[in-house]
Amino acid sequence: MKVHYYPGCTLKEKTTNLDNSTREAMKRLDVELVEPEGWTCCGAEYPLTEEKIVGLAAPIRVLRQVREESGDVLITTCSFCYAVLKRANKAVREDPLKHKRINAYLKDDIKINALTKEKTTGFTEYNGEVKVLHLLEYLRDAVGYPKIRSRLKRDLKGLKIAPYYGCRLLRPQKEVGIDEPDNPHIFEEFLEVLGCASVDFPFKQECCGSYLSVSLPDAATEASYQILRSAGLNGAQAIAVSCPLCFYNMDRRQDRIREKFMDFTGLPVLFFTQLMAWALGVEKKVLGLDQHFYPPDHLFREEKKAEVVL
Amino acid sequence: MKDKEPKKRIGLFVCHCGINIAGVVDVEKVANLMKDYPGVSFSTNYVYVCSDPGQQMIIDTIKEKKLDAIIVAACSPTLHEKTFQEAAKLAGLNPYQIEIANIREQDSWVHSDKDKATRKAVKIIKAHVAKALRNESLQPIKVDVKKRALIIGGGVAGLQAALDIAEHGYQVLVVEKNPSIGGKMIQLSETFPTLDCSQCIMTPKMVEASRHPNIKLLTYHEVESVSGFVGNFKVRIKKKPRYVDEKLCNLCAECEKVCPQVVPDEFNMGLSFRKAIYMPFPQAVPGTYTLDEKNCLGLLPVRCGKCKDVCEKKAIDYDMKEVIFEEEVGAIVVATGYDLYTMQAIGEYGGEKYEDVINGLEFERILSASGPTGGVVRRPSDGKIPKHVVFVQCTGSRDTEKHNPYCSKICCMYTAKHAMLYKHRVPDGQATIFYIDVRAGGKGFDEFYQRAIEEDRVLYIRGKVSKIFKEGDKLIVWGVDTLTGKKVEVEADMVVLAMAMVKADGIPDLLRKLKIQSDIHGFLSEAHPKLRPVESLNSGFYLAGCAHGPKDIPEAVAQASAAAAKVGDLFAQKELLHEPTIVTVNDELCSGCAICITMCPYQARSLDPEKGIAVVNEVLCEGCGACAAACPSGAAQQRNQTDEQIFSMLTAMLSEEEHV
Repeated sequence: MKVHYYPGCTLKEKTTNLDNSTREAMKRLDVELVEPEGWTCCGAEYPLTEEKIVGLAAPIRVLRQVREESGDVLITTCSFCYAVLKRANKAVREDPLKHKRINAYLKDDIKINALTKEKTTGFTEYNGEVKVLHLLEYLRDAVGYPKIRSRLKRDLKGLKIAPYYGCRLLRPQKEVGIDEPDNPHIFEEFLEVLGCASVDFPFKQECCGSYLSVSLPDAATEASYQILRSAGLNGAQAIAVSCPLCFYNMDRRQDRIREKFMDFTGLPVLFFTQLMAWALGVEKKVLGLDQHFYPPDHLFREEKKAEVVL
Repeated sequence: MKDKEPKKRIGLFVCHCGINIAGVVDVEKVANLMKDYPGVSFSTNYVYVCSDPGQQMIIDTIKEKKLDAIIVAACSPTLHEKTFQEAAKLAGLNPYQIEIANIREQDSWVHSDKDKATRKAVKIIKAHVAKALRNESLQPIKVDVKKRALIIGGGVAGLQAALDIAEHGYQVLVVEKNPSIGGKMIQLSETFPTLDCSQCIMTPKMVEASRHPNIKLLTYHEVESVSGFVGNFKVRIKKKPRYVDEKLCNLCAECEKVCPQVVPDEFNMGLSFRKAIYMPFPQAVPGTYTLDEKNCLGLLPVRCGKCKDVCEKKAIDYDMKEVIFEEEVGAIVVATGYDLYTMQAIGEYGGEKYEDVINGLEFERILSASGPTGGVVRRPSDGKIPKHVVFVQCTGSRDTEKHNPYCSKICCMYTAKHAMLYKHRVPDGQATIFYIDVRAGGKGFDEFYQRAIEEDRVLYIRGKVSKIFKEGDKLIVWGVDTLTGKKVEVEADMVVLAMAMVKADGIPDLLRKLKIQSDIHGFLSEAHPKLRPVESLNSGFYLAGCAHGPKDIPEAVAQASAAAAKVGDLFAQKELLHEPTIVTVNDELCSGCAICITMCPYQARSLDPEKGIAVVNEVLCEGCGACAAACPSGAAQQRNQTDEQIFSMLTAMLSEEEHV
């Protein structure tokens, strides 16, 4: 089965190991991920913060391309891309003015392309036909947990993982929310399907600092520290994330965190598809564990039971 | 058409209503124009027709000009129809010969073009002339009153209403679904702003109610259905089996000792445990044990039967059955109280996850001398005395986006009380209150709140709480101090949430049984927000206490007494007068299709089994006209609002004849 997949820039460039894990894991579930042709950056948070129509054109252009390729679903594994695509899609569906203006921009695309490629293409307006799903949702609703369970090759029993939602999977609830923002459980369910134990911790919905990582690195460092610390205090051996930016902030920043917070000893950060790929029997080298700042190698042992002392 | 017009001598009085009408409508011109209109024998204008001289003018003119009907062109009939009907009566005219032409709300208030508004006034009056010509003289329908009241709910409001009505000398039935009367008030520790013990002031009332010769307490009973109408309700009441004979039970407590089933105690908000056979609290009225069938191992003695074995008085009877019986009452007071918003609704405060995040009622039990900790402030998780308690006001209230938009009214005061009582019990402890603003509008309330700050050193932080979570032994409270604009993080040992008051659980069900209305939050609607605050829109139903909306004890008691006084008014009448403007059935036209029966919201219509046509219960019919509009054959006609009248009004209103 083929389904459209939007990796987003971070996964495509900085964290290819996470992208590879996703693809390999999905293959084991008989799902082939197809990228829409010529996809671009979704614009990250900017198209939504500024409310400028031109910014919304980027995510809608991607969604329109999916539709042109006869796709009706677009999956992403990045919470940010998910939020941007889903909110832009909603804007086109529900706001007639935005719908009109965004489509006016997209129409111009076609003309330019037509000139360079010397062929004219008919333009049909994009009306929000494509459904944007985060992979967690797709696994639950389309693939189904029973199927995942039946394909498990490794036993993750004993692994205590803290699921970290971050902000963009849950808020704003009316536009994005895949779950109750104050009491989510989809990630926990997913981890338990893989066979590991999910660790509840109060910081699972707090922001990791997001793009402040660029403009105010200290703020992002502290935010990430609080999350990692809380997960550790609650007995997690690792934290699982659903967004490459959260991954970047929490894993790659651990040196800064250690400099700033003396009590911090480090905690492995895993992408949820790495765990899934591992449980489904994907080879360890695909996971790219050597690319992590905090090496999580000890959690991925071939033995039946992973026994780890942190 | 003109020739067929009935003959009447109609008097027209056009009111200025100061400049309310005269500012937009040329009243003098209207009165003059109508002078010669067919049917009108007299026409004048006056500055305030509703004033004493205005009414006197009507009375004098009716007598002098020998008028058969009058039209007052003034404000809405909801305001002064009664006034003018009374005036007409004094002049010897049947009050149903009075027509009100609304030229204020439907004309002068909604228009500004003087010329057009004046023309509209004329059209409105012409329509009413057409109607007045066809109005019949009617006599009110007389109904007997059953001088016996039903109170639903045995909390402080219900008991106050019961005692007051009983003191008026009428019989009262109090239906309470729980095993004992007392409601929420009996669960409270001390009450603001005087800090007097709640049980100490509530129990005498409970005892008084139980001993009053005019009051019959029906505890562990529920209302099944209500039929009938004001003065003549038939109420079916369900007696739930208590499995203990309350007359025989001598409270020896032997049954409780042997009962093997331990369940959370509702009276202590689940902070302690009780047995399946239990007495809710020591001062319970009636003083008897109750066997809770949900938690009993089995009513078959073969399965357990321990309690029955030890009961010397033979008070326990496993074969008791639910009994439904019917009572007749004339008035019903609904005093069903409230419930608290649930912890589940506010996930970010962790009330579901953390034992030490509790609601205000749970804290009342912790503070109460008769509570699970004997009045020592101990937190539920480990029984430690909390050294820092954070209180969060407006939890679930005043939140238009996610929770309840209204103010729960009592939380500001009870939170100040909670903090104060906590400081009295744990003098070295710290009490911190997060608030949006403090609403202390009541007698002695603001002084009380000031005392909490100044004498008891309670720390008030102005801002909302965003999140509560546990770290180790402590609860971390994240909030904002809006006065400094800074985020605050507070470490607490226990958190008390001032949960919003919401409609009582059983309200939707009860509303269906009583057929009375509530607002969108499930609080019962009063007939008028200012002038009829204790009556329901449906006559014969009265409201008391928090069933009507959040209120504190003094207010609930005041409302209960007011409701009782209203019931007294009703019962003081020999017979009730019912509006005669009901919808009748023309036997010859009715085909018995029964559409009107399904339309009637008051169950006033039924099908006569012999004749096969619709019949009307005149007393139940409120004259809403739903059946008349639905009747396909025109058999259903409302008195003084017949199809003929309505069409004649339309004809008059739409006729091309221009008088202006």
